[in-house]
Amino acid sequence: MDDDPLVLRVSGLTKSYGSVAALKGVEFGLRRGEVMALLGENGAGKSTLVKILAGLEHPDAGQIEIDGRPARLRSPSQSLQAGVAYVTQELSIISALSVAENICLGGRSQNPIWTASSLAQRVKPYLELVGLGDVDPATTAGKLSVAQRQLVEIARLLSRDAKILILDEPTAALSDVEIGKVTSVVTKLAKEGRSIIYVTHRLGEVFEIGDRVTIFRNGVSFEPIAVKGLSVDTLIERLLGRRLEQMFPARASKFGEVVLSIHDLVAPGLSHPVSLELRAGEILGLAGQLGSGANAIVRAVAGVAPPTAGSIRLRGQRLNPRDMRDAIRSGVAYCSDDRKRDGIFAVRKLTENLTAPSIDKITVAGLINRRRESEMSRRLAEFFEINLSRLGSQAGKLSGGNQQKVALGKWLGIEPSILLVEEPTRGVDVGARAEIYRHLRKLADQGLAIIFASSDNQEVLGLADTVATFFRGQIVRVSPATQMEHSSLLRDVTHPENLAAGREAA
Amino acid sequence: MIAGLLGRLAPAGGPATEAQAPARRRLAFLFMGIGIVALLVIGGLTTPSFLTLENLLVVIRAASITGIIAIGMSYITISGNLFALSAEELAILAACVFAFLMRDDYGLAVSLIATLIFAAGSGAIQGGVISLGGDPIITTLAFGALFRGIASLVSDNKNILLGTKAAEWLGTGRPLGVPTQSWAFVILTLVAWFVLQRTRFGRQLLLIGANRPAARASGLRVGQASIVAMTLFGVCCGMAGISAAAQFGLAVANLFSGLTIDVVAAVLVGGIPLKGGQGSPVQAALGAVFIALLQNFMLLHSFTTGWRMFVIGSLVALATIGFHLLQKRQA
Repeated sequence: MDDDPLVLRVSGLTKSYGSVAALKGVEFGLRRGEVMALLGENGAGKSTLVKILAGLEHPDAGQIEIDGRPARLRSPSQSLQAGVAYVTQELSIISALSVAENICLGGRSQNPIWTASSLAQRVKPYLELVGLGDVDPATTAGKLSVAQRQLVEIARLLSRDAKILILDEPTAALSDVEIGKVTSVVTKLAKEGRSIIYVTHRLGEVFEIGDRVTIFRNGVSFEPIAVKGLSVDTLIERLLGRRLEQMFPARASKFGEVVLSIHDLVAPGLSHPVSLELRAGEILGLAGQLGSGANAIVRAVAGVAPPTAGSIRLRGQRLNPRDMRDAIRSGVAYCSDDRKRDGIFAVRKLTENLTAPSIDKITVAGLINRRRESEMSRRLAEFFEINLSRLGSQAGKLSGGNQQKVALGKWLGIEPSILLVEEPTRGVDVGARAEIYRHLRKLADQGLAIIFASSDNQEVLGLADTVATFFRGQIVRVSPATQMEHSSLLRDVTHPENLAAGREAA
Repeated sequence: MIAGLLGRLAPAGGPATEAQAPARRRLAFLFMGIGIVALLVIGGLTTPSFLTLENLLVVIRAASITGIIAIGMSYITISGNLFALSAEELAILAACVFAFLMRDDYGLAVSLIATLIFAAGSGAIQGGVISLGGDPIITTLAFGALFRGIASLVSDNKNILLGTKAAEWLGTGRPLGVPTQSWAFVILTLVAWFVLQRTRFGRQLLLIGANRPAARASGLRVGQASIVAMTLFGVCCGMAGISAAAQFGLAVANLFSGLTIDVVAAVLVGGIPLKGGQGSPVQAALGAVFIALLQNFMLLHSFTTGWRMFVIGSLVALATIGFHLLQKRQA
C-alpha cells in the first residue's frame, strides 16, 4: 500500500482570512483507494483545506497536484473537472425534486431533453452503489430520511465520476444506525479504488473506516498516522497536543428533592404516555434515534410542542406551557439541537447574546443598565469559561464549541429550575466537548436539574446519572447510567423486538 | 440557587470590550460623507443657485420629510421586516385627515393629536397583520393601495383646503432659522438612535431582527416588537403628512409622489443590512440627506421626472447589489 502513487499531493498551502492565518503551510497526501480521516478541533484548518480542494476558497500560496500534474481549482466546476467532488455539512438536497433529478442536478446532461424513465435509468447504478437500490428514483427527495438524503448526495458525487471524494462531517446530523449506512458505503467506494477524504468529529468513525488519519492543529497538518494499531487515547492525545484528562466528569453522589415530575404525559412524538421524575442535581440522559420520542419530552416541557394529556409538575407547581415564553417564565431553560437556527444571534455581540433571555434583569424603567449588562454577561462568560476579551465580538465569529457555550450560558441569567438540552455537543470538537460536559456537571452539582436528549450513546452513558432509552415514541427502560452497558443501550434504541423484553427488565 | 452560584463568582471589572463598527457600516458612512460633500461641491460649482440660503432651506426641508419617514423605516428594516411600502400612501392619508380636521375647526392641537393617533393606528394594524405571519412587503403594499383608495374617495381627488393659517408655522416656520421639519428630523434621529442603543425595546428589536427563531426561543415578544415598530413608522408618516399639509395649506391625494422609493433608497444607501439585526437610524438619516440633495441637484439641472426616477431606481439597484457582494466577500 505504501507504494501506491499519490492521487493528490498538497504542499506549502497557506491561507489567511484578514489577520487570521487559517492554514500555515499545509502538507497533505492522498493515496488511491484509501479513506483518509481529517481530524482537528474547530478552527484547526481542516475545513479550509477541504474548501480549497473543492474550489470554494482560493489559497494564498502553495501547490496542489492531482495525479502528478499541477491542478487549477479556482471554482467548484474546475474542481469537479479535475475529479474532486465535495459533500458539505449542510445537505443540499432539494426536497421538492425527485431522487433522480437531485442526482443529476448541476451535472452535465448529455441530452437537453429527458424523461423520468431515462433519468431513472441513468441514476439507478449510482443508487445501487450507495445502497439505495430499493429506493424508487421517482420518489420525492423530501420523503427520504436524513441518512438517505446524505446517501443521495454521495450518489450525486459518484455520478460526476470523481476519483477524489470529500465528505465534510457527513454524519453530524445522523443517529448511530444511520451512520453505519453511510460509513459502509464509504468503505465500499474506497475498495473500488476511489480516494476519500473524510472530515469528522467522531473518533469512532475514524477507527471504523479510516485507513490513515491526518491531524490538524492551529492551521498546521501533521504526518498521517496509520489507523491500524492506533489506540483511542493516543489519537485524542495527538489531537489535543496534550493528554485529555478525562472526557466525562465524575457523577453526582447524592440528589436533592424532586424538581420535575412528569405523569402520563402524551405529546406530539410520543406513542405511549410517559412518566418520569427528576431530582435537583441530577442529569437525566434521554437516548434514542431521531423520531424515537426522546426529544418529544424535552420539547413538551419547553413549550415547543405542548402536551396533549398528562401532567407536568415543576417544584410542585403544575406546569402547562402554551409556548416557550411561558415555559421560560416558569423557570424552564431550553437549548435546541440547532444553535444556528435558534440558539444564538450570530450578528450580535456576545454580551447581547448572553443577556437576551434575562433582558428584564438588566433593564431599569425600560432602559438598559450598562453596568448590570456588563456584570451579567461577564458572570455568565466566566462560568462557562468564555474568553472575556471576546464579549464584544459577534457570536457568529466564534468556533462551534464557543457558540454552544454561549447558547447554554445565556440561560443561567434567568436562574432556571431546570435545564433542557438537545444534542449538547453537536458540531463541537473533542476538547470543547469535555469542557461542556464539565460545565453541565458543575451546574448540576450546584443543584440544577438537567435533562438532555442525545443520539450519541457514549455521551448519554458518560454524562448522565440516569438514562432513559426511547424507541418509537415510548420509553424502553429507565436505569442508573452505571448499571447500563453500552450494548444494551444500543439494543434498546435500535431493535423493536426488544421492546417487550426491555420493559420487563425495567 | 443559580443566583447564589453566580454571586460567588468574581465581580465584574471594567466594561465589556466594544465591538468594532462592522466594516459595512464604516464604509456606508464614508460613502455618505463623500457623496454629500461631492454633491454640495459639484452643485455649488455648476449651479449658482445651489448653495444659496433659499435653496439650502428647500433641500433641508425635503431631506427632513424623507428623513423622518426613513427613521421609522429603519426600525422596520432592523427588525427583519424589510420595508413598509405604504409610506407615501399613509402620509397622504394623514395629510387628508389633518386637513379635514383643520377645515372643520377642530383646532390645531386636537387635529395634530388626532392625526398622529390615526397614523399610529394605521401603522399598528399593518404590524398586527405582519405579526400574524403576513409577508411585510405584500401586507404593506396592500395597505398602501387601501390608504390611497380611502384618500382618493374622501377627498374626491380634489384639494382639501385647511382654510386657516393656524397650522402654517408647522409647515413653513423657522425657529432659530431652521425649518420646523428639520428640528423634528434631528430630534427624531437622536431619539431613535438612543432608543435603539439604550432601551429594552431597541435591544429586542435588534435581537429579533438578527434571528427571529432565537428571539422567540429566548422568550422575547417577537410579535409585539413588529407591531411597535410599525406603529412608530405610522407616527413618522403622520408627521410627514401633517407638515406637508401645513406647508401647502392643503392636502390632495397625489402628494408625496415617489416618496416611498426615496425612503427605501435612503435606508439602502445608508447601508442598513436587509437581513436585519444591524444598523442604526443615523445611517437612514444620512441616506435621506444624500437622496434629498441628489433630487434637488437633479431638479436644478433640469432633469425630467423620468430621469430622476431612473437615477434613484438605479441607485437602489446598485446599493442592493453592492452590499450583497460585500456581504459575500466578508462571509
